[in-house]
Amino acid sequence: MTAARSARYRSPRHRQSIVRAQHFGLYLFLFTAALFFSIPLLIMISTSLKTAAEVRAGSVFALPVEPGFAAWTRAWGEACIGRTCEGISAGLWNSVIILIPSTVLSVGLAALNGYALSLWNVPRAGAILAALLLGAFIPYQVMIYPLVRMASTVGIYGSLPGIVAVHVIFGIPVLTLIFCNFYKGLPPELIKAARVDGAGFFRIFRRIVLPMSGNIIIVALILSVTGVWNDYLLSLIFAGRDNLPMTVQLASLVGTRIGVPEYNVNMAATLITALPPLLLYLLSGKYFVRGVTAGAIKG
Amino acid sequence: MTQITIRNAERSYGALKVLRDVSLDIADQEFAVLLGPSGCGKSTLLSAIAGLDDLQSGEILFDGQNVAGVEPADRDIGMVFQSYALYPSMRVRDNLSFGLETQKLPKADIRKRVEWAADLLQITPLLDRKPSALSGGQRQRVAIGRALVREASLFLFDEPLSNLDAKLRTEMRVEIKALHQRLGATFIYVTHDQVEAMTLATRIAVINGGVIEQFATPEEIYNRPASLFVAGFIGAPPMNLIPAVVRSDAGQAYAQLADGALTIPGLTAADGTEIVVGIRPEDLALCEEGEAADLTGKVVVAELLGADTLVWIEVAGQRIAVRLAPEDADRLDPVVRLRATADRISVFDAASTKRLELTR
Repeated sequence: MTAARSARYRSPRHRQSIVRAQHFGLYLFLFTAALFFSIPLLIMISTSLKTAAEVRAGSVFALPVEPGFAAWTRAWGEACIGRTCEGISAGLWNSVIILIPSTVLSVGLAALNGYALSLWNVPRAGAILAALLLGAFIPYQVMIYPLVRMASTVGIYGSLPGIVAVHVIFGIPVLTLIFCNFYKGLPPELIKAARVDGAGFFRIFRRIVLPMSGNIIIVALILSVTGVWNDYLLSLIFAGRDNLPMTVQLASLVGTRIGVPEYNVNMAATLITALPPLLLYLLSGKYFVRGVTAGAIKG
Repeated sequence: MTQITIRNAERSYGALKVLRDVSLDIADQEFAVLLGPSGCGKSTLLSAIAGLDDLQSGEILFDGQNVAGVEPADRDIGMVFQSYALYPSMRVRDNLSFGLETQKLPKADIRKRVEWAADLLQITPLLDRKPSALSGGQRQRVAIGRALVREASLFLFDEPLSNLDAKLRTEMRVEIKALHQRLGATFIYVTHDQVEAMTLATRIAVINGGVIEQFATPEEIYNRPASLFVAGFIGAPPMNLIPAVVRSDAGQAYAQLADGALTIPGLTAADGTEIVVGIRPEDLALCEEGEAADLTGKVVVAELLGADTLVWIEVAGQRIAVRLAPEDADRLDPVVRLRATADRISVFDAASTKRLELTR
C-alpha cells in the first residue's frame, strides 16, 4: 500500500473524533448565533422585571436584583396614555376585533382566488397573477392617500369596517399567490373527476380542495395574523379614535413625555403587545415550515 | 344504451394540432380502444367525449343528440383516470358516494349502490380507509368503483392500468373485460399498450398525430393494417417492412427487393411504383431442401421467448424478425433461406403509406 492510499483509510476511532469535532463546531456556531439574536429580547425581559429605581441606577445588561411583575401590572392596567391611565389592556380588545375579520376575510378570499386562478380556466389568469405580484411588491405607503380618499368617499374612513377593508386589500395579493402556488401542485384530474361526479365550483372547493389545504391555511393565517397584529401605520390612519389597536396605544405610551420615562413599564408593554404573534410562531412553527416547503416543492 | 358519433373533431393548443378531422362511430355496448403513442391526441379525444375539454370544431353525438355544452355530470358517464384521482381527504366510502350525493339520491339508494360496487370489486373491507392507506391496485379498484356507482351507460378509461405493475395489470385487464360483459355498457378505453388494446377491444382506433389511421377489429388491425404506421405499431416485434419496387415480367407484377424478388399474388400496381412489403415474423418460414427462397440472410441473434424463438436475420442491410419453433432455431445454418406465406403478405404504397389492396 502506498502512503497516499493508507491516509485515506483511517481508523474508525479517528473518523469518529473528526465527526465529534465537526458537531462541536456546528453547535458552537448555532449557540452563538441564537444568543446574538436573543440579546435584545433578553434585555427587554430583564428590564421589565426591574423596579424603576433599579433601571435608573444600574447598567442595561445587569440582571434584576429583586425580579417582580410590578412593571407588567402597571403596563397592563395603570400606565398613562395621554390623559387616560388604563394601561394598554384597552387596545388588546381593539386589536382582536380588527384581527379576526381581517384575517378570516383575507385568508378565505385568497384561498378562493388561488383555487379559481390555478385550477379553473379563468380568462387572462396570467395577467391577473402578474397584477397581484405587482400589488404584493409595491410599498403600501404609496397607496395610502388614494385609499384615504376612497374610504372617505364610501364612508368607512375612521371606522372598524374601514381598517378591516384596508387590511384585506393589502393581504389578498401575497396570500393569493401562496394559495395559487400550492393549488397548482394538486393533480388537475382531481377536479375533472369531481366535475364528472357532478360537483360545481364551490362544492369542489368546500369538499375536496379545502380539506387538503390544512398546512397552507396555517401558513397564510400566520402571515396574516402577524401582519395585521403588528401593523401600526394603517391602523393609526384608518381605524379611527375608538378602534386604536395595541400597537398604536403602545407607541403613545412609549412616546408619553410626562415625568421620568419608565423604561421597565415600556418594556413590559412592548412584550405584552408582541406576545400573541410570538406564541403563534412557537405553537405552529412546525406547520409553518411544513406548509412553506410543501408549497415550494410542489409549486 | 349509448352509441357515440364523432364528426370532424378538431382541437389545437396554440399552433399544435392535437386532433385533425377525427370522425368515429362507436356502437352501443362496444369496447372501443383508442390506441396510439403518447401525444397522439387520444386522451384529448376522450376528454372531449367526457365534456371536460371543448372541441374547436366538429361535433360529438350521444345516441344522435349533440352533446355540445352538456356538462360532464349530465352526460351519463363514469370515468377512470390514470392517476386514479381519488379524493384524498375522504374515506373510500365517501369517494364512492360523493357523485351520488351531488345527484341528491336518497341515502338508502346510495348505500345500496356503494355496497353493490364494493362487492363487485371486492373492496368492501377497504370502505372505511383513506386512499393514502391503499396500495396501487386497491386505489385502481376504488377509482373503477367510483365510476361504477353512477350506473352510467358509458364508461371512459384514461390509461387506467399504466401505473400498476405487470402482474396486477394482467389481472385487472381480465377484470375490466369481465366488467364490460357484465354491465352491457359502452366502454371507451385509452391506452398506449397494444397488448391491452388487442385483448380488450371489440374494435381498436389506432391514432397517430391526431389522425385515426384505422378503426377496426383487433384481427383486422393485426392481419390487414391499413397503413405503414399501424403495421409498424402493432405486434411485438412489429411487421417486417421491406422497401421494394414493382416490376412486371410478361404481364405478371412482382416486387423487386434490394436482394432478390418476391412474387405477390394479386399485385396490380404499375411498373416502377415504390412499395413497402410487410410480412409478420410468423409468416416467414425456413425453406425446405431445394425450395426457391424469397429472402436470404445472415443470422444475427436468436431470442428464446418460451413458446417460440425470435431469430433476427440481416437481409440486404436490414434486420428482419422471424418467429421459429425453438427446435428449428437451435439448428440454424449461419446463412438461412426463407420463404413467405404468399397470401398473408401486406403491401403499402411508399408515397402515401396506405395499404394497397391485392386482387385475390
